Amino acid sequence: MRRILALILAAAALTFAAAQDPLKVAFIYVGPVGDYGFSYAHDLGRQATQEHFGDQIETIFVEDVPEPEVEPFIDQLVADGADVILGTSFGFGDGILAAAQRYPDVIFGWGTGYLRSPNVFTYMADFYQVYYLNGLIAAALSESGSLGYVGAFPIAEVKRHINAFTLGAREINPDAEVNVRWLYNWYDPAGATEATEALLAAGSDVIAFTEDTPTVIQVAAQRESPGFSHYASMVEFAPGYVVSGQLVNWETIYIDFIQGVLDGTYTNSNLEDVDYFWLLEEEAVELGAEPGVPVAEAYIDDLEAVVIDHPEFGEINAYDLVMRRLAQMTESRENFDPFLGPLVDRNGKEVYADGYLPTIGDLVSMEFAVPGVVGPWDNEPQ
Amino acid sequence: MELDLVVTTLARALAFSTPLLWAALGEIVVERAGVVNLGVEGMMILGALAGFVVAQTTGDPWLGLLAAMAAGGLTAALHAFFSVLLRANQYVSGLALTIFGLGLSGLIGRSWVGRPLTNPMEFVDVPILQSIPVLGPALFQGQYALSWLGLLAAIALWFVLHHTRLGLTIRTVGENPAAADAAGVRVLTVRIWTVIFGGVMAGVAGGFLSLAYRPSWGQGMTNGLGWIALALAIFALWDPLRAIFAALLFGTFFTLSFSLQAYFAPQLLTMMPYLFTILALTVIALRKGAGAFGAPEALGEPYSRGER
Repeated sequence: MRRILALILAAAALTFAAAQDPLKVAFIYVGPVGDYGFSYAHDLGRQATQEHFGDQIETIFVEDVPEPEVEPFIDQLVADGADVILGTSFGFGDGILAAAQRYPDVIFGWGTGYLRSPNVFTYMADFYQVYYLNGLIAAALSESGSLGYVGAFPIAEVKRHINAFTLGAREINPDAEVNVRWLYNWYDPAGATEATEALLAAGSDVIAFTEDTPTVIQVAAQRESPGFSHYASMVEFAPGYVVSGQLVNWETIYIDFIQGVLDGTYTNSNLEDVDYFWLLEEEAVELGAEPGVPVAEAYIDDLEAVVIDHPEFGEINAYDLVMRRLAQMTESRENFDPFLGPLVDRNGKEVYADGYLPTIGDLVSMEFAVPGVVGPWDNEPQ
Repeated sequence: MELDLVVTTLARALAFSTPLLWAALGEIVVERAGVVNLGVEGMMILGALAGFVVAQTTGDPWLGLLAAMAAGGLTAALHAFFSVLLRANQYVSGLALTIFGLGLSGLIGRSWVGRPLTNPMEFVDVPILQSIPVLGPALFQGQYALSWLGLLAAIALWFVLHHTRLGLTIRTVGENPAAADAAGVRVLTVRIWTVIFGGVMAGVAGGFLSLAYRPSWGQGMTNGLGWIALALAIFALWDPLRAIFAALLFGTFFTLSFSLQAYFAPQLLTMMPYLFTILALTVIALRKGAGAFGAPEALGEPYSRGER
């Protein structure tokens, strides 16, 4: 009897404590925090968010969660008292949407996703503008005019990035080609090594990539070819060979959303239309080999030495062009967009009419390849 | 141009297949003594981590390699203890070793992530041999010492297995442990040491990954190579010399799956080696008992005196 009383008292104490608890925000990562890529970047975002809100929130995370098995992890997080659950990977979508119906009181976020419900919002910090800027840089540095791209999976996100990279390259050199090799894997160091070697052997001399490790730039640097950081600063992995890159600040989105939850702007019943697709303008993404350095200083001279006759800016060097475009896009997507029509695909078919600015919906469902992309392309529209 | 493609393909095939060859050679010796060790992936990744940590701390990649060998050997000793001494199921014990190795290395390795190796192994050109047409530039230029040392190790192991008393002992233990026992061979001792030797070889494979091929540490960086090495040991029909060709074949298909991606679906090319492995297994099954051509007769069976 005394024992039961003690239990009841303990439970009451717990309930009381719970009322005082900070907002509990849980993150689900697809890879290990130590991948030094995608999940690593999300975890930096989590830490910055925690720091921003201090005692107001408590963040927890689970890592290395297999995509099809996300639901039991969500169950556990809900049992642990999570108020907000953020699944960072595309493949978590089915699990998140199903769990959201089971737990209507919990707020869910689906990173890189596209379907919402009253208690599920979607978010993405997208790199396409940054890849376009990297394309300008790559073409200006390339001697052969042949650039390489190691892609993870031929899905819309990666296709959009390769297309943007290629459009940038062709703005500097109308004959530039981008050779694509696919890994069919997000994490594959050996595959990334051999794909990079194959591209270099085939004559590509500047390499960009989408894969979750710094392997590509390590291999490229060994063969003295410049490369780009992806997600996190990778300068240390290839000193002297990282020109620029794509960096992410997930905390911009996380802080904005959680502020909304704390304010009561976002609740478990009004997220149907909440879709963050944040770009340079919102500072969710950044151009640079490392934070604060858009182009590595050692390469600025080389870029300034490349002068082209540009339809919009007249005679301009590659470095200035990169900076102009960066400024334009940082101000607003309306100022300049790499995909602004007219645009044809590599089969010569018009995809966007003259003056058409593709919507976010267009961007996230992009399947075509632009002219200059060389290599296999699954699900290419005919 | 076409000759260039041949040279690069061969060169990349050798680089990619180096860890496969080292690990497969180890497994061949182990299986020749009648023990299956499915823990190759686990031994490899612990070797990769130990090698990286020691090389990063001391600045000497060769000391790192020694640490990788020690880590592989120690991990293998666990398998020897359970499956040889305690006669536990070899398959279960090996699988456990793989899961254990991947988990432990991820845990310990956490603080070593995100920093490249400051002093990695470097390419070594072999004098004289590098001037052989085609083969020279492919195999003996711009390769790590461990790549062609792997080829030498294969030849040495072939000699030991087939032309020395020690080799005869190992093979007898794998074919007919009771007979070996009757002849005065200490079956368990031989098995324990071969298992540890296999771990040391897997350690070299892991060390190659973190010290040369991709000089850094990343969680799960072996990414299934240990399993390919196991397939390779079977595909080579437990012969170290054939393992060279088998490894190069695996490597060739892997590298071609990228260089010829524009012409062939990459999945088709990477699937090939496994298809060959299944074919090899079929051939073995059909010619069961045809002597050295087949699997060791006592493969996978724990030995205990007097149970026959």
